[in-house]
Amino acid sequence: MSRTFLVSALNQLWLPVLVIVLLWVGTAGSTNFYFPPFGDMVGAMGANLAHGGLLEDLWFSLKNILAGLGLAIVVGVLAGLIIGEHRRLRESLGPVLDFARATPTVAFVPVIILTLGIGATPKIFLIFLGSLWPILLNTISGVEGINPAVLETARSYRIPWQLRLRRVILPGATPQIVAGVRVALSVAVVLMVVSEIYGSPVGLGNFILRSGSSFAVTDTWGGTLLIGLLGYGLSVVLLAVEHVLLGWYFQRPPRVRRNTQGLALLEREALTR
Amino acid sequence: MSDSDRLAPLSVTGLHKSYGHHAVLADLNLSVEPGSFVCIVGPSGAGKTTLLRCLSGLLAPTSGSVRYGDRPVNQPLAEIAVVFQDYRGSLLPWMRVRDNVAFPLEGRGVSRSARRARADECLAAVGLPGVGDKYPWQLSGGMQQRVAIARGLAYDAAVLLMDEPFGSVDAQARFDLEDLVLRLRRDLGITVIVVTHDIDEAVYLGDRVIVLGGQPATVIDNLTVDLGQDRDQIHTRALPRFAELRTRVLTRIRGGAAAPDPAPPAQLDVSRT
Ligand SMILES: Nc1ncnc2c1ncn2[C@@H]1O[C@H](COP(=O)(O)OP(=O)(O)O)[C@@H](O)[C@H]1O
Ligand SMILES: [Mg+2]
Repeated sequence: MSRTFLVSALNQLWLPVLVIVLLWVGTAGSTNFYFPPFGDMVGAMGANLAHGGLLEDLWFSLKNILAGLGLAIVVGVLAGLIIGEHRRLRESLGPVLDFARATPTVAFVPVIILTLGIGATPKIFLIFLGSLWPILLNTISGVEGINPAVLETARSYRIPWQLRLRRVILPGATPQIVAGVRVALSVAVVLMVVSEIYGSPVGLGNFILRSGSSFAVTDTWGGTLLIGLLGYGLSVVLLAVEHVLLGWYFQRPPRVRRNTQGLALLEREALTR
Repeated sequence: MSDSDRLAPLSVTGLHKSYGHHAVLADLNLSVEPGSFVCIVGPSGAGKTTLLRCLSGLLAPTSGSVRYGDRPVNQPLAEIAVVFQDYRGSLLPWMRVRDNVAFPLEGRGVSRSARRARADECLAAVGLPGVGDKYPWQLSGGMQQRVAIARGLAYDAAVLLMDEPFGSVDAQARFDLEDLVLRLRRDLGITVIVVTHDIDEAVYLGDRVIVLGGQPATVIDNLTVDLGQDRDQIHTRALPRFAELRTRVLTRIRGGAAAPDPAPPAQLDVSRT
């Protein structure tokens, strides 16, 4: 058990380590103004975090993305459960939802900044708005995709609706909800940066904009690296949550697992937004 | 609720059921006395599942009525537990076996410890002590069907409705499950209605066999199985009376008259799918 874990961990680690080493060594002697040595970028990130105010920017961004995403999960899952459970509602909301999904949230940035100003609120709202659709739509289709035999069982054993929602519908839709959150996370990181580039005195987006326009290229790279690390860190956290929530789903023999091709499609679609 | 309310005949009068223009059941009448074991047999596609769903209150008849005692069965009743054909789909994969068995009790507000005790008791009754902490998909098909039966028992119903309960398990597990259900009926005094396409199974299990036939299907025969209460896989099936009864059912299913030929083709069983 621990041996296979070790092997698998090593198997996952060797390539990232190799890439970092190659970057570090390969760019060490760079004199190009726009592409400073990788080591310098990491150094700049560290220095700015320690005493350049980058920590405040990181904290600001992290708070916004967590608030926006958290709100989107709560609203998207609740609304998705309700819409998914009611066929009529689903049918009449279909066109609206498709339109909302087809409109890139980035297009709302100017309007939202105009109406909500430049504080944290418009950013949280923007992240919320962009993350909402993949979560909402995935929740709806997750509810729709629940095995009819499961629903029939719940009905024949007279399971009251609150219990049915909590113990049948929600867990049944969770594999797809989680896939939706994964998509939402990548959308949220993009929106976090964009919202801070347009009209914001703080945040990681603002940091790279500020340092970039004052030609502190190494700092800009450091900030970009930190954004990447933030996104990666959040997706690792999500993966861990996923494994806790979906132990039953991943451990089941593959033949009984629901076909996840639909999920992959949805995910790709959302990523091209 | 008084015991006389709990134990009541389940009766069907003038039942018709159509899906759109496709009439499946027509003018179907039957009555099942409390404590009896009735098998409803018919070829695949005859409308057995449709009938069972009408009996359980999951499906509304197009016309006619289903009554439990003097109450109409127009929704699932607390007195009727259903064991579905698709046991894989009807056990919730995100719940452990014990929680699956106890789930109907959760809807009745039974305390956690009482639920747990009752679930373990029912699992023991179906010969599965000690699997409560496993997930259903970790068990074999026959064991999963036992869990589904345990859930029916935990529901504490007076009537157990089973739809081709042993159709998809291997022969040995099937014999064991048949004897299990016979024993449960004897020990608990419950009414059991089994729907099956397997003529031998119907004769082996039932006090009475109801034969469905025709398009749309109706009751074409209703015979008492006078093989006594104590049945035995080896000896009961070897009795001349057993052969006579199965021949009569087979003849009826294949469109013959009620009186069977004296020299039946003993090994034919066209109804197996
Ligand atoms: N929900 C449904 N909608 C339309 N037709 C159905 C539905 N369920 C069953 N049928 C049809 O009704 C007939 C009887 O089906 P069913 O009751 O499942 O038979 P059995 O259980 O005896 O095999 C079949 O022809 C089937 O195609
Ligand atoms: Mg059927």
